[in-house]
Amino acid sequence: MEEIGHVAQIQLFGEPGSPFGTVNYVTVLMTWVVMAIIIVSAVLIARRLKEVPGRVQLVVELLARFFDGLVKDALARDDRAYLPLIGTLFIFLILSNWIGIIPGLEEPTKDINTPLSLGVMGFFIWHVSGVRAKGVIEYIKEFFQPIFFMMPLNVVGELAKVISISFRLFGNIMGGAIIIIVVSHLLMFLVVPILLNGFFGVFVGSVQAFVFTMLYLTYTSVAVRSD
Amino acid sequence: MEVFWAEAIKYLSAGICMGFGAIGAGIGEGYTAGQTALGISRQPEASGQLVKTMLIGQAITETSGIFALVIAVLMISTNVGTEGDAVLNMAAVMGAGIAVGVAGFGVAIGVGYCAGRTCGGVARRPTIGGQVTGTMLVGQAVTETPVIFALVVAFILLYSAFSGGLEKAFGLLSAGIAMGFGAFGSGIGGGLPAGAACSVVARREEVRGQVLAMMLIGQAVTQTSAIFALVIAFLLIFAHGDGASMVKIAAFLGAGLSMGMGAIGAGIGTGMPAASACTAIRINERTSSVVMRVMLIGQAVAQSPAIGSLIVALFLLFVV
Repeated sequence: MEEIGHVAQIQLFGEPGSPFGTVNYVTVLMTWVVMAIIIVSAVLIARRLKEVPGRVQLVVELLARFFDGLVKDALARDDRAYLPLIGTLFIFLILSNWIGIIPGLEEPTKDINTPLSLGVMGFFIWHVSGVRAKGVIEYIKEFFQPIFFMMPLNVVGELAKVISISFRLFGNIMGGAIIIIVVSHLLMFLVVPILLNGFFGVFVGSVQAFVFTMLYLTYTSVAVRSD
Repeated sequence: MEVFWAEAIKYLSAGICMGFGAIGAGIGEGYTAGQTALGISRQPEASGQLVKTMLIGQAITETSGIFALVIAVLMISTNVGTEGDAVLNMAAVMGAGIAVGVAGFGVAIGVGYCAGRTCGGVARRPTIGGQVTGTMLVGQAVTETPVIFALVVAFILLYSAFSGGLEKAFGLLSAGIAMGFGAFGSGIGGGLPAGAACSVVARREEVRGQVLAMMLIGQAVTQTSAIFALVIAFLLIFAHGDGASMVKIAAFLGAGLSMGMGAIGAGIGTGMPAASACTAIRINERTSSVVMRVMLIGQAVAQSPAIGSLIVALFLLFVV
């Protein structure tokens, strides 16, 4: 079971002695797999759009409509500027979290670099849209709310958003993966822990993908809306 | 002699882990059973459904107790923590026990609270019991997050080969303290909105989507303090410490205590506005976007003590 400590170390600092340095090439490869799945299925589905939707098109339309409603509600605006970002984020995350249930493949979200880079991306999106929506002066004023000396805490709070959103996803997915490894060891690999794979891979994976997306949307709406 | 002590500390840690881990599961499951008994007195004809809901809820409440049991059994029955440096092993095993035990204590209370409110809700409207139970499962799964963080830290502590001096040993112990206590508050706090949401869905199932979104965001913010604790625990585990400087040891212990204790209050405190925000949707769902903004601002302020603890912990880690 020595690899359990090793798993975490690789996910945090990269494999020691790897020719790629601290770059975890498995994560890069798996991210490409997920991206390939998304692009291929998007092209295939978009090619066969019909007036009367088939089964696949129906599911995709339901998903799109659901996120359209969420984004409109949260931002209180009628344009769809943020819908592609939020929708794609959810699809990418849910596929990334589910891919681990296929033996031999690993979740890219198990590596801290994937959620953290999405979080850093979000940091810039939130603040740039905040400045664009409110103007520089109004935007800077918000950091001095409710009282001026709260400014340092507000700044740290903004940075903490990035840390919390990314470590939440990372911790859940890696925790699930480690628990599955431990149980497999305890059962001597005789029984594949299907129940655990279902719970941590499918259920927790979906919930955490949705939580990540919702937080992304909520932080965007906090930055954009001024009421 | 040192091997003897390493063995002894292993058994002591197994006891701490299972002892603390059992407290929360007991409280949580008892609350659930109590709510079910009350519910059956209100709806005797739905008693079969109520008992089924109770058993599902209790089984998930039990999870954190089982996590503690797994760690304790691993400590007792395998040769974990006997190879390599004895002092480092003692600290790592002790840290792992505290992390999972104390985290499970808090989380099981939160998860059990959610199960209890669900049983109360199902008793009110047995016809939509399935929807309420579905909400409960999502809420409980998210509430479990802090104990999963603790489990990650515990497995890293138990199964990594560490090297270093006495400073490193105290770093490992402090990582366990930070993670265990840090997850305690978030566990209770995450359960409050989950329970409130289940109760709201039972009364007004037509606002289920809004309640679910409010609950998830509220819980996510509640867990922020546990995530700070996770980050500090990682930093403590991988901090360098070859010497035996008393100042460095005290700084590591201080960082662990600061983050762990500081997160308790923020975890419980941020759960309260989240629970109230879920209830607010039951009263008037049209105000939900304003309520959410107020909730987020209130939670951000309630969180600032934990951010203070984080800053102090980082200062102790990197500046001292």
